[in-house]
Order: sequence, then structure tokens, then C-alpha cells
Amino acid sequence: MRVIIEEMRKDLKILLAYPVEIAFWIISPLLWVVPLVFQGRALIGGLQSSAFGALAGTSEYIPYVLIGGIFSTYMFTAVWSMGNALRNEMFYGTLEHILSSPVRPLRILLGKALFNSLLSTCFVAVQITICVLFFGLTITLTKILPMVFFLILLMIGLYGVGFIAAALTLLIKEAHGVLHLFEYILFLFTPIRYPVEVHPITRAVSAIIPLTYALVALRGILLGVEFDFARTSLILLGIDMLIVPAGIWIFAAIERRTKQRGTLAEY
Amino acid sequence: MKRVIHYLRAINAENMKEWRIELKYKPDFFRQFFAPFVYLLPYFLYGVALLGGRFSEHLQSITGVADMIAYTFIGYLIMGFLNTACWAMGWSLRKEQWYGTLDTVFAAPVPRWVYVAGMAFHSTLHQGLIMVFQAVIISVFFAIAFKTTGIGVVLVIVALMVVGLYGLGVLIAGLTIGLKQWWVISEALNTLMVVVTPIAYPLAVLPVFIRKISLVLPTTYGVMGVRHLLLGEQIGYDLTTILFRLAVILIVWVTIGMGVFMMMDRYGRKKGFVSLY
Repeated sequence: MRVIIEEMRKDLKILLAYPVEIAFWIISPLLWVVPLVFQGRALIGGLQSSAFGALAGTSEYIPYVLIGGIFSTYMFTAVWSMGNALRNEMFYGTLEHILSSPVRPLRILLGKALFNSLLSTCFVAVQITICVLFFGLTITLTKILPMVFFLILLMIGLYGVGFIAAALTLLIKEAHGVLHLFEYILFLFTPIRYPVEVHPITRAVSAIIPLTYALVALRGILLGVEFDFARTSLILLGIDMLIVPAGIWIFAAIERRTKQRGTLAEY
Repeated sequence: MKRVIHYLRAINAENMKEWRIELKYKPDFFRQFFAPFVYLLPYFLYGVALLGGRFSEHLQSITGVADMIAYTFIGYLIMGFLNTACWAMGWSLRKEQWYGTLDTVFAAPVPRWVYVAGMAFHSTLHQGLIMVFQAVIISVFFAIAFKTTGIGVVLVIVALMVVGLYGLGVLIAGLTIGLKQWWVISEALNTLMVVVTPIAYPLAVLPVFIRKISLVLPTTYGVMGVRHLLLGEQIGYDLTTILFRLAVILIVWVTIGMGVFMMMDRYGRKKGFVSLY
């Protein structure tokens, strides 16, 4: 436990050394939505689309993409922060020191994951506050509890994704581009910007990504779009139970392999 | 003349060095050719979800182009060069810092801007290659037909826009010296440019204050000019105006970029934080 807390403290100290990063993570997800709003206006000339409504359950595309943008923060921090966690230690020249300490690397990674979860929650809270104050989003106490429930399920699933991203970095080193690709793939196959029902392939692939179900549930709660609470939470729980052990196993296997081959500290 | 040749050799050396480094990471090198497709598809699918198909009556009424896929594709294709400025050039110094080679590179007998120019040259070649590949695949896959009569002017517009973006790249590289966390600067400027440039929509849908900002960006004229020539978009400007404004923007942006870079470089060395993390 001490290791995890110390890792979180260290990450917080590093983050506070670059305060501009905090502002970036709060504002960017909201800004990324803006081109989609303009594109929507150019394509349909209004704020509602019946074709969109038939797929998404709501014809108002702006709240739809706004919620997608806000909650995708969790995904971005999982992919980027966890994926870059070990690469950054490599660049700082501290990777060998960390991995030679009498602690399992997984615990260090868990510390980073918990820190990212807390951080993402703070960012999302600020973003939702901005939406409540400026965009007329309404949140009642009855909505908060189920939201927290689904967010916890989402975060657990994203730990698994984060472990895989960290393992990828150990394996291929120059992971910046691959993480970008990973991010684009999640954009493509999850309902962040559009309902995945728009194409059979996106619908099929999205079925194994935890963010899909979390977004369905969160939009259902916030926008009043109909969804099956029990079914969605059970599927999300099931994915979590698969993806977390898979992420841990992949990370452990790749870490072992890089140590055996002596490529751990290679650039 | 001797000095120019000396600088050109340094620029090419930097270019070759980058190719070598990139080819060392083969999965990442090949990934760069396929990533733009994955990046573009969500914009197409978003449009299809809104329209229930590929063509938009409203888009046609305001731009003269009904094909949402072709319209969006040209916008994002041209914006690929923004990556050159924001990522490749902006990252250049921070990367050397991480590799531990920044001081060595800075000790070479060439001005600092030559190093950044080498990065610009390399990333233009690299990005150009990716874009040609992307253009061929997407055009064939989605059966997009382009007008080819103005292709020469298209190349001039793209060239002017790219040099204008070099100014932004040099500026980011300069800011990186002082602010260190380069990716935040790159990503923030990239996001702002993407929001303000009429990539997948015409200027007409932008709020007035954003429209005014977009008129000082090279990407606005680059995207509008190319789309006008290749797809026949009605843009409200003639080509001479677009070329003239691009030339003015190029001079202003490159001057500002070089100015900030030199100032930050001098300041960084005076304060001794060039090598700090």
C-alpha cells in the first residue's frame, strides 16, 4: 500500500511541475467537440437529426458528443498516462532504479493507475461543472450515484487497457505513435462521437470495449435515453473480469521477456 | 554561397538522421501510413450517422458540394501538414533533450534554426509521402472524383501553406525550450487550429469571432483553396486573393516563429535552462 501511495505522490509532484498540463486536460475534451458541432451544423443545418435519433435514441447530437468527449477523458488518461508511464521513466533515466527496487512493477503501475483515476475524475467533475454552468446540463443527486457506479466499472476496465498499453511500450519502445493509433481505434469503435450502430463492423468491435457500455449507461442517465441498467452493468462487470487479468498477464509476460532479453533499458 | 551549401548539408544531415531513427522503429514507421485512415473514419461515420447517408442537401446549398465524404476528406488531408508543424518540428528539440543529445547538437557549428529546418524538411517529405498514399487509397475506396485542371495551383497553395506552418513549428520548438512540456503546447495549438480552420465545414457556419481568427491562419486558405480547385467549392474569394493572403501570412508567421525561437534560445542559454527537464 505504501508503494502505491508513494507512486501516487510522485506522479502528483511531477504533474504539479507542469501545471499547463492540468489546464490542457480539463479544456481539451470540450474543445475536441467543437468541430463536430460545426460539422453537424454544416451537414444538417440544425441541432437535431432524425437519422441520428434513429440510431442513438436522441436526435440532439450536441449533448451526445459532449458527453462522449467528457467521459472519454478516462480513456485518454488510461491510454496515455499508463502507456507512457514506463517510457517516461526510461527517458528520465529512472526505469532501472524503479524496477530494481524490491517491489513488483505491477504495484508501481497500479499506483499510476489509481492516480490517473483520481485525476480523471477531477477533470471530469470540472468539465461537468462547466457544462452545467454554461451549457444548461442538469444533474440531480439521483443521477450521481448510478453515474459513479458505472464510472467505477469503467475505470476498472480501463486499468486492463492501461496495463496492455504499458506492456506495448516495454515491447516496442517508441510507443507514442502506437498509443495514438490505439486512441484512434478506440475513437472509431466506441460511441464517443456517434452511435456504433452506424456500421456493422463498429457495432461488432465495440461489443468488447468497456467504454462502449459505460457511455451507453452514462448517456442513458444524463440524457434520459432508454437503456437496460442490469444488462449493461453485468456486461461491463464481465468485461472487467476478463480484461484486468488479461492486462496483468500481458504486462507480466512482456516485462519478463524484456528482462530475459536484456532490452528493458533500450531506447 | 559556401555558407548556404554548409547549411543545406546540415539540413540534409538532419533529414537523413531522422529517416534512420524512424526506420529503427519499423512498426511505428508503418503505423504512420495507416493511422490517418483510422483517424479519418470517425469523421465520415459521424457524418453518415447525422445524414443517414453520404450526401447532404444543406452542405450543397452553402458550398455547392453535396458529397460529405469528399468534402471532409480534403479538409483533413490538407490538415495533415499541421502535424508536421506541431508534432515533428515542435518535438524536435525536446526529443534531443530526452535522448541526451541536445547539447551536442547545439554545439554543432550551425545556427539553431538550421537544425529545426532539417526537421521541417524531413517531416514535409515524410508527411507528403503519407498523404499521397492516403489520397490514393481513400479516393479509390470511396470513388471520389477530383477536378484535375487546377492541380498546379493546388501545389502552389499547399507549398505556401506548408511554409507558413513552418513558422508555427519553429515557434513551438522555441516555446519548448522554455516551457519544456512540448506536447501540451503542440496539442493545444493543434486543437485550436483544428477548431478554427474550416476543415469539415465552410466558413459560413463558424461564429463571427472564430471566422475572423480563421482568416489569419494559413490552413484556412489552404483547405478552402484546394477544395475549391479539386471539388468546386464556392468560397467567396478568388484564387488571387487566396494566394496573396497566403503569401502575407507566410511572411508574418515565419518572422514571428523565428523571432520567438531566437528569443527563447537566447533566453534559455542566458538563464542556463536549455538542458533542464
